Amino acid sequence: MRIGDIWNKLADPKNVPRIFAFCLGIILIVGFVVPMALNSDQLYVRPAPQDQIDAGLALAPYDRGGEVLKDPGFIKPQFPENAEQLGMITGYMSPLAQWISSISPYFGTSIYSSPGGLIDEILYYTRGFDTILESSILMMAFIIASWLTINYTMNRRNIEKNIKKDVEIAIVNSAKVAHEVNVNDEKARAKQLRRDN
Amino acid sequence: MDFVTLGGNLLGTISLGDIVLYVTPFSLFLFVVLLIFTLLIAISKTETQVEATFNKLGNTNVKVGLKEFKQRRFLSVICGIASAGAMITGDLFNFTLFMALIGILNIGIVSAVKQTSVLNSAYQYGLIAMMCSLPLFGGASIILASTGTLCLAILSQMHANPMVIFGAVLMLLGVIGESGVAPFFASKAEMFRTPGSPFIVIIHLSSLFIIVRAVEIFLLILW
Repeated sequence: MRIGDIWNKLADPKNVPRIFAFCLGIILIVGFVVPMALNSDQLYVRPAPQDQIDAGLALAPYDRGGEVLKDPGFIKPQFPENAEQLGMITGYMSPLAQWISSISPYFGTSIYSSPGGLIDEILYYTRGFDTILESSILMMAFIIASWLTINYTMNRRNIEKNIKKDVEIAIVNSAKVAHEVNVNDEKARAKQLRRDN
Repeated sequence: MDFVTLGGNLLGTISLGDIVLYVTPFSLFLFVVLLIFTLLIAISKTETQVEATFNKLGNTNVKVGLKEFKQRRFLSVICGIASAGAMITGDLFNFTLFMALIGILNIGIVSAVKQTSVLNSAYQYGLIAMMCSLPLFGGASIILASTGTLCLAILSQMHANPMVIFGAVLMLLGVIGESGVAPFFASKAEMFRTPGSPFIVIIHLSSLFIIVRAVEIFLLILW
């Protein structure tokens, strides 16, 4: 294959995602043979899940200790000096959450009643800027999608160019129909004349 | 590799919790240049063009409607600001988020053209952007799992192991997909000959700057 053919194939927008997906697949397969060595010294650590469940804590596996606004819970940030109040609201639970945790041993594992201080503090305190970016990505996606929907999918019939083209086609079609009607008319008349004579 | 070797002396840091932005002469220069370009794009108007028509003597004046103009200007300005943010950030995951934002804004700018062929092209680009969110965030998370940190200053002091190299390769593929292939589609869509051209330049500008910044980040991590 000549190199010009390859360039021409690459110039078709349809082919670019396929080539990209192929490269991605190959690299992901290579990933199976790469030695994986996890670092045990991680950020935002949590204890092994079974530890807290065996200990019978109501908030297992999400119990981080701490008392609201008095005693910080256990969270390990990258730069503790930048987040001095970290952990202060980790222990907070709404009255509903307190009630559920008092009657159920599975409170910590249910998403509806997550004792959210932990998640919230990482999201909105130590990594707050990331959360702003994530929500702005979502907002931009919605803006683009809604703009496309309003301007193309629902409104494509009202574009002036298309209307003009449609009118021209309609005029040509009706002229054709009128011509055919005329021709048929004359044929019928000729037939009638022949019969009369 | 150290910051000082690549970007010059550290002028200061902006700390937002665990996310610390680093200001070096290199990153400051990229940041300011992108902001100036964004300002130029924000105050510019779209081009108007005259097209010859086939089979007729008349010419058509091709204009961009006010709504389309506003949408594209808005997306371009946000894209410029996001690229400027990616220039100055000092956190790996923060950088990948800026990348994802730039990618989706590029799709938006390409797709805000009222031509079916351009929309098809934008659709293909959207497929790539969807695919490459996996290597982008996956690469960053593999680097986090291997080193235990996302801060570039600490990462630059560490030695690279095979897992970090694999994560960096994945991230490179993600960066290529989110931003590097955008000019392919922008030029395929013949955006430079359609009305409203100046806003398309931000796609090329941001992908150029992003590649420069990505090379710096990979040198920091791997060297």
